[in-house]
Amino acid sequence: MKRTGWVWPGVTGLVLGLLALGPGLAPGFLLSFDMVFTPGPRFSAMTFGLTGTVPRHVPSDAFGVALAHVLPGDVAQKAVLLGIFVLASMAAASLVPTRRVVPRVAAGAVYAWNPFVAERLLLGHWAFLLGYAALPLVAGAAARAAEPGGGRRLTRALVPAAIGGFAGVAVSALVAGAVVLCRPERKRGLAKAVAAVVVLSLPWLVTGWLRPSGMPGAPEGVGAFAARADTPFGALGSLFTLGGAWNAATVPPGYGTPLLAVVWLVVVVASVVAFARTRTDGTAGLAIAAGAGYVLAALGVVAAPLLRGLIEAWPGFAVLRDGQQYVAPLAVVVAVGFGVLADRAADRRLDALGVLAVLLPLVLLPGLAWGAAGRLRPVHYPDAWARAREIVRADPVPGDVLILPWATYREYPWNGGRTSLDALPRYLDRRGILSDAVVIGRTVVPAEDPRARALDPVVRAGGPLTARLAAHGIRYVAFDAETSGNAYYARLGGAQRVLADADLVLYRLPDPARPREDSAPAALAGTAWAVTLMSVVWSFAASGITLATRSLRHPRGKAP
Amino acid sequence: MRIAIAAVAGVLLAALASFGAVQLANASQQEPVIKPLYGYGSR
Repeated sequence: MKRTGWVWPGVTGLVLGLLALGPGLAPGFLLSFDMVFTPGPRFSAMTFGLTGTVPRHVPSDAFGVALAHVLPGDVAQKAVLLGIFVLASMAAASLVPTRRVVPRVAAGAVYAWNPFVAERLLLGHWAFLLGYAALPLVAGAAARAAEPGGGRRLTRALVPAAIGGFAGVAVSALVAGAVVLCRPERKRGLAKAVAAVVVLSLPWLVTGWLRPSGMPGAPEGVGAFAARADTPFGALGSLFTLGGAWNAATVPPGYGTPLLAVVWLVVVVASVVAFARTRTDGTAGLAIAAGAGYVLAALGVVAAPLLRGLIEAWPGFAVLRDGQQYVAPLAVVVAVGFGVLADRAADRRLDALGVLAVLLPLVLLPGLAWGAAGRLRPVHYPDAWARAREIVRADPVPGDVLILPWATYREYPWNGGRTSLDALPRYLDRRGILSDAVVIGRTVVPAEDPRARALDPVVRAGGPLTARLAAHGIRYVAFDAETSGNAYYARLGGAQRVLADADLVLYRLPDPARPREDSAPAALAGTAWAVTLMSVVWSFAASGITLATRSLRHPRGKAP
Repeated sequence: MRIAIAAVAGVLLAALASFGAVQLANASQQEPVIKPLYGYGSR
């Protein structure tokens, strides 16, 4: 493909990204569920998964912090989010076997603008979406993995997924594995694919594997995180139409109404059929990955006891809990098939249909537009948070920060009451400890952080807190919600209130013990990072422009 | 013939867009759901 062939899909992705974020592009941070960016973040032990917590945020937090050293934090966030749309559109376009622009743009539009992207975006899974965006590139690179230079190409394609951590890598590994196994010289291709996946996973693999308290599986979360119906077609039909995320609050407004859902279902079915009739390198593997991914996505719905049993046998299977993520390969199939349909329309000189096809995703999913109809609104952190950071930063006495109320998620009034992960652990420079137990309806997925588990009985019990918290190495207690007349204040006798504001109250405790924290060995984690970064540099060295090579070869070329 | 197909597709697209806009407006006017504090969400 000519390098200019990327321009229109890229521009389309950018326009879709601008449309999706809308007012969210204004100055400020978008805090939605798991998406937390902060101003002026610093690297810390937590960034690299060296605090004993489960390293789900590795290496995405490090990527975010590094980016925020180059750009203001909120600008970095918007750049990443827009980049997802641009990359997704360009990557999907690369797999459509035609030289015509409109069909490739149509494929890019469907891949960048669908229920999967909308629900994961609202859920705040930006790092996972980076891997999703590059998934078509992974498929294309895997198809040629056995060729000279194939290892480098595949490693490059996997870098966005690697930023997403284990969920992103798991989905990409599924696609890469299925595609290389369906190609000639599968042994060589598979060896390269496994090597690339393992090397890029080292930062979280090492810190997770060597975590002293092991990896929790929490099989009780299977039901809570299973796919749910967001269309009239039930959970399985919703997954097939690329929706079905577990959280009801992430369904875009207006999505799933019968008429639009039926039209979207017809589009998906027609696209899948069109893809099935397409013969290019890698399509067989991609089809298998999509099928396998759909089965994995449905496990929590149709075989919850099996999934629970698997997780009890080996906690690593917990990566299948939030199963809807695994329909991502199906989204690639739908996008490419949609592009093929648009190409066939062009074959029949129905160019206008192709142009309308580009607009169809927007028509069928209007709720993603304009900041997901207002759900993505930029906010500024309260001034009190900045003052707290200065106070904590200026204090030479070591010690951690206990964050109350004792819960993981918040509905800050300054964030419009929208649910978001508590941002304070990433905002302050010190280790923040909060209860990382997750509450979904009536299900409680137990806390995983050993420090939170150790402090849980202390916090929940009555009586004075100050001395007992100090004995656990706590220097500060921060209240970032329920700041007015909190009952805990009376339990902090002897502690000094150093900040009192409606948005944040901060207490300083005297004579904290030196905090002790078991984590993976820092030297090994550092080595893992070095190996991964070197492999990334190696993959890009002398590669020219990464996206300028055709990802999937097609046997026949067509005039643009 | 091509013009007729494009016109039909255009009308269909416009109808879907109108329907989508109405659904969107309806969804935004629903009563807010009272959510439990500090939860990750509900199914």
